[in-house]
Order: sequence, then C-alpha cells, then structure tokens
Amino acid sequence: MKVLKLAKENLDFFAAVVQQFGEVHAPVEKNGKYAFQRLARWSDARLDYQRTMLPPKKYFLPPHDTLLEYKDGQGYVPVMDGVDRRLILFGVHPCDIYALNILDMVFYGRYVDTYYQKRRKNIAIIGIDCTPDEHCFCRSMRADFVDRGFDLFFMDLGDHYHVMVGTALGDDMVLATGPLFEPTTQKDIEEYKRRSSAKKSAFKLEVEIRDLPEIFEMQYDSTLWKGLGDRCLSCGSCSMVCPTCYCYDVADDVELGSRAGKRSRSWDSCLFSTHALVAGGENFRSGRPARVKFRYYHKQSRFVAEYGRPSCVGCGRCISACPVKIDISEVISQLRRMEQNAIAK
Amino acid sequence: MPVKHKILIVDDDADFAEALSSFLEANGYQVLQARDGTEGLRLAKTQQPDLILMDIVMRERTEGFFTIQEIRHTPGLEDTPVFVVSSIYSQVPGFRVMPEASWLSHDDFLAKPVDPPQLLEKVRARLAQRPAKEVAS
Repeated sequence: MKVLKLAKENLDFFAAVVQQFGEVHAPVEKNGKYAFQRLARWSDARLDYQRTMLPPKKYFLPPHDTLLEYKDGQGYVPVMDGVDRRLILFGVHPCDIYALNILDMVFYGRYVDTYYQKRRKNIAIIGIDCTPDEHCFCRSMRADFVDRGFDLFFMDLGDHYHVMVGTALGDDMVLATGPLFEPTTQKDIEEYKRRSSAKKSAFKLEVEIRDLPEIFEMQYDSTLWKGLGDRCLSCGSCSMVCPTCYCYDVADDVELGSRAGKRSRSWDSCLFSTHALVAGGENFRSGRPARVKFRYYHKQSRFVAEYGRPSCVGCGRCISACPVKIDISEVISQLRRMEQNAIAK
Repeated sequence: MPVKHKILIVDDDADFAEALSSFLEANGYQVLQARDGTEGLRLAKTQQPDLILMDIVMRERTEGFFTIQEIRHTPGLEDTPVFVVSSIYSQVPGFRVMPEASWLSHDDFLAKPVDPPQLLEKVRARLAQRPAKEVAS
C-alpha cells in the first residue's frame, strides 16, 4: 500500500482541492454532538470528533428512499435520484469503514442492491484515525484497524498526517494536489508504529467475543432476556444509530384512484413491535424480550454463521444512545458469566 | 436602455475590489462587491449576477473554494460562471487546480496581480455567450 505524509497546515488545501472529485461532507458539531454533513467552510469540519450521531450508512442506505414509481399503462419506473451524486466523506473512523465493508457483504455481495451499489461507487471515503472513549470497543470486535474500504486514510502523527492510499481514486486525489504530499521517512514509520501501539492500550472497554455464538446458543433460554426486555423501551434507537443495522420496511404510497403510486423503503428496527407482524395478525416476536433477544442473536451469532463474523463493530453508539442504559458490553459479559456458572455446576 | 451584465466581486481586499470595480464599471458592467464568502453567497442568491470573480484566501485560506461549492449547489446559480482571481499560486508554491476540475469546469483561474485588459477580454468572451439577466429588485 502506498503511504505518504501531509503536513497538517496543508489539510485545508487538500480538502478544498478534493472538491473536484465530489461534494465534501465531514463531521460538524451540532449542539455538542456530531453529524456528517456538507461543509460550507473548512473550519466547520471537526476531525477530532468522538462519534457521529448517525453513522455514514445514512449516505448509502438513506433513512427514507423512494425506489420506484408506477403508473397505469407505464409499469414500474425505478427512481434513481441522487444515486449518482459524487460525494466525499471526509473523516470516517475505522469502525465505520469496517461497518461499510460489512454492509457490502449484505448489499453488494451475492445479491446486489443497485441503489446501494451505485452510491458505494460514487461516494469516496477518506478515513481518519481516532482515540477511543469509554464506549468504544472496536478493538474487541477487530474493527479498530482497516486495510480496505477507504480511498485515503489519515493518521494524526503530530505535525503531519500519515496517509495510506487505498484506491486509484485516492491516488488521483493525491496527484491532484501536486506536491502537498511527501514521501514518508523511516522516522515517520516508527512514529506511526508508536501511535498505533499507544491506541491499542488506550481502550477502556473490552469485550471478549471468543466462543460467543456458542455461548448465545447455550443461553438461549436465559433469564437475562426477560430482564432486558423489561428494561427495553422498544424505541429502536440502537438500530437507528447502528452502522450495520440494515433492516428496512417497504411501503407503497398509492395515489387516489389506485392508478399510480410510489414504492419506498424506510429504516426499520427489530425492536419495533410491528417488525415480525405478518398478514393475518400473527406476530412472531410480540413481546419485548423476544425482540431484544432477536437483535443480539442476529448481530452476534447468526451473522457469524452467515458471513463469518459478528455484524457489530464496537462503535459504542448503541450504548450512548440507549435511553435506559442497556450496554451491549455488559450484556455479553453477563451472558458469558452465566454460561461459565452453568458449566461449573 | 440596455440591461447591463452584472458582475459580483467577492474579495476581502477592499482596495483591489474597488479598483477592479471601477475598471469594470468604466467598461459598461454593473458591479457588486462582497468582502467574504458568506456575503458573496447572499448577494449571489439575491442579485443573480451574470459572472462572479472570486478570491480564495479570505477569512479562511480556502474560503473561496468552499463558497464556489455552495454556489454550485444553489438553485439558479449552478451555471453562473465563476472566475477565480487569487494569489493562491504564489502563496502556496506548487499548488495547482486541474483545469478539468468539474467544479470549475465552466470557469477560469486568474492569478493576482491581474492584468485588467486580459481580465476584461475573458469577461467579455464569457458574457458574450450569456444574455444579461433582469432581476426584479
């Protein structure tokens, strides 16, 4: 992988120049929190942000997306508005890049979702390294480091950024800025290693995921799920802020007279009471314990069976967003303890 | 009376903007001035200029670049020609914007100090393709 360095004082120029490759969107502060949005000026960008309220998935799977329109006599017409818009997400954290790589497995793997595919092709990713806070456990989920899924990746090394070039587009971005980028020296590489090592030891939260799918299967009837269900409000906040939750609901908006309409999809959550409701009024998960349990099983166990790893990346958003303080790290630790106790008996 | 083409100068250098404004007015253009990107964007939205002369380094080093992006995303201004008039090339040696850069595709890049007759020639050539807009005030 090509590695270069960029003096910090030139970052604003680099950001200005890459606009020729697309609209620059970056984290900006909103009432003490952060959100990705289009930059009106460079000084609005906050690359030292902790985590954004919503993950970058909002650009690839918008919360509400019109898929097609239909009209009597014309059939179905796909609505592809905005999918060809060229964007640059500047300042995406490793866990969120990892999350996009996971979404790729679902929407851009065996079955291709054209809307997702087009957006993925048209949205460039410039990643940036970060410092973990009390809710981050991406290291436990092996998502604290990425070697793919970005066009460029920046790591802060004090007076300059260590820049990894991930794609040909990333290389074009570097070339477009002329001599702003310089070759790295051995000293820079040593500093990169030192900072990487320091980051590893900065994690305050660790979650042991070894044997987790098996533990989940053994604890299927655990009393833990009832307790969690009693606490959970079914608000769905954890799903909305999750960078890998991808459930959506499809609905038709039919015009008066039923001769035309639109079909759209909107974010859904397995915590919602209607998620498993089917025609005839049957609801496979009508109770909250069943819904909370389903979410944990899907992310930590069944996704492993299908794709080889949990879909959780340890970004900590669900912990910080939950209004009743349900903490995934505590749930997993508690489940592990229960299983250890069961084995000891 | 024929409608004059309207040119908006966005530049924090008041002396430069005044001098350029007088020169353009003497050559038959109506000229508006803004001292930063925010004011420039506001005037562009309300006055719908036929051409914009944009400085880059103002309150922020890249203010002009981001203001151009805003202009490109403002309905009614997407196709308004923007000429960058800046000393950025001398301030950041080696820095260059690719001529085919999509967000400057209709436009031009003029390094300060500007040669007024050359600027006038480029402005005339660009505006010859555009009828002057009449905007209700």
